[in-house]
Amino acid sequence: MNSLAIRTAHLRRSFPTGLAVDDLDLEVPRGEVLALLGPNGAGKTTTVRLLNGVLRPDAGTSSVLGFDPATEGDQLRHRTGVLTENAGLDDRLTARENVDFTARMRGMRKDEAKRRTANLLTQFGLAERADHPVQGMSTGERKRVALARAMIHDPELLFLDEPTSGLDPTATKAVIELVQSLARERGRTIVLCTHFLGEAGQVADRIAVLHRGRLRASGRPSDLARELFPGLGVSLDLGRPATDSELMSLCAIRNVHEACATATGATVRVDDRGDVPHLVSHLVGQHWTIFGATPQTVTLEDVYFAIEARVLAGDDPATDHRIVTTAAALGELDGCAA
Amino acid sequence: MNWSVIGAIVRKDLTAVRRSKSVMLPMLLVPTLLLVVLPLVLALVASHAGTDGIQHFLDNMPGKLADPIAKLPQRQQMVVLVNGYLLAPLFLIVPLMVSAVLAADAFAGEKERRTMEGLLHLPVSDRELYVAKMLVSFVPAVTISWIGFLIFAFVSNAAAWPVMHRVFIPTGTWMVMIVWMTPAVAALGLGIMVRVSARARTTQEANQLGGTVILPIIVLTLGQATGLLLAPLPVALAAGAIMWILALWLNKRGAARFSRDRLAMTM
Repeated sequence: MNSLAIRTAHLRRSFPTGLAVDDLDLEVPRGEVLALLGPNGAGKTTTVRLLNGVLRPDAGTSSVLGFDPATEGDQLRHRTGVLTENAGLDDRLTARENVDFTARMRGMRKDEAKRRTANLLTQFGLAERADHPVQGMSTGERKRVALARAMIHDPELLFLDEPTSGLDPTATKAVIELVQSLARERGRTIVLCTHFLGEAGQVADRIAVLHRGRLRASGRPSDLARELFPGLGVSLDLGRPATDSELMSLCAIRNVHEACATATGATVRVDDRGDVPHLVSHLVGQHWTIFGATPQTVTLEDVYFAIEARVLAGDDPATDHRIVTTAAALGELDGCAA
Repeated sequence: MNWSVIGAIVRKDLTAVRRSKSVMLPMLLVPTLLLVVLPLVLALVASHAGTDGIQHFLDNMPGKLADPIAKLPQRQQMVVLVNGYLLAPLFLIVPLMVSAVLAADAFAGEKERRTMEGLLHLPVSDRELYVAKMLVSFVPAVTISWIGFLIFAFVSNAAAWPVMHRVFIPTGTWMVMIVWMTPAVAALGLGIMVRVSARARTTQEANQLGGTVILPIIVLTLGQATGLLLAPLPVALAAGAIMWILALWLNKRGAARFSRDRLAMTM
């Protein structure tokens, strides 16, 4: 069996309004969670539509679960599930009818569809509301109905477009845990389109950043962090901002590459974690008063905005700003700051 | 063609339509007015009206078209003329209107409710989706028309019974109109409206676009139908056949040009 769930090469799609996806090369191994990130209009939804055979590409090729979405869309869609951004439920039907309809469309027999629908609605805490029209439901309830609908046939590949938007913190946590369990325990491949970087950081094995239809960066968050933020930032608490002469002294210390003043002291950049004890002992030896030395964590937010800043700084079609990291990383994102 | 998938879409849409007042009201109100209230009032008025003007009207009808009415006793002529002939064109509005309302809702309604994307991500082929949406509009249009006709025939015959003393509707030509032309008219309306609906973003837009195309057809249809009821049976059958050919051509073309890619572009 092919180890890649998704592979695209030079995928391109334009609309009368402009280019939506341009020269997209993407590889998603089976069982991985890929977070598709990018601002509104970046091409995330168009990418999902192309990958599920809803739209046909103008150029390029793609293979999803071994099918060509452009020509084998029907076979492919039997094995994928999609949660669209706006839930897409028919307000005039009840939650049960909405899910049951999808089950029948997925080829389930009537009794099987009923049983699966009832089980999923119960699993998502909607048993009591199952026979209520969707129209009167809260955003969270609608999202849960839509999730039940997307998972009714236990798909191999799930496309989740903003799965937690409009959900309260408890429901958000439940969805994140569900995504994690689907990927880790059941080996499902998940493509997650989201604006919530914290959420993506929690569940994604890899991220792909799109901007104006082009892939600007892809890889494991930890790899991207290392590439974008070489070394380790250490925040020094001096109880006051560091003076210029102190900053110069800091820069003179072995393996310190950069020093900037902050409200409470300074931030220095060293090679790695092993440099921190030497830095602290050196400063103590120089009779500095240090209240704390804290290694800085590079968050997915830092990574994302660094990529976006690079893109915005030189968004020239002739220039390739892609930062594509494919090497397998051993550490997770938090590891690079530890 | 996977008929269980088509059936699932048809059942779901019909359930949703039944619960939608904005769709159901015009679909029931117009047939009730045209097929119940109007024939009842006209039959009662015609039964009690004088016969002075009718001879002049029959004299002005071309050729032998007036013969079937002229042969009747004078008191029956007005009733037969009004309910048996003049109301017939109005009857064809029913399948056209019902199919147009439902077809407008078929795709444009899905886009408006933002349910289209979910539908396009399901394992249903373009052809199955098109056929399902056609059936969702066609079956109710024909069913409502046929039920409406039964009620119309009952009301007309009952209201005119004191004058006629017999069942005068349906005539042979009426049967051609009901069985042969009504489905053709519904299919013709669909052939246009489903395509309009697939391009429009909202039901209102679909209705507006469709109205500019469908209205002339209504006028044409009514004009033809008025004469056809008085024309010999083979002519009525041939006219129906032409309507069917046109409807099938339109729908075949529509199906060939229909794709989820195009649909997705208008979402």
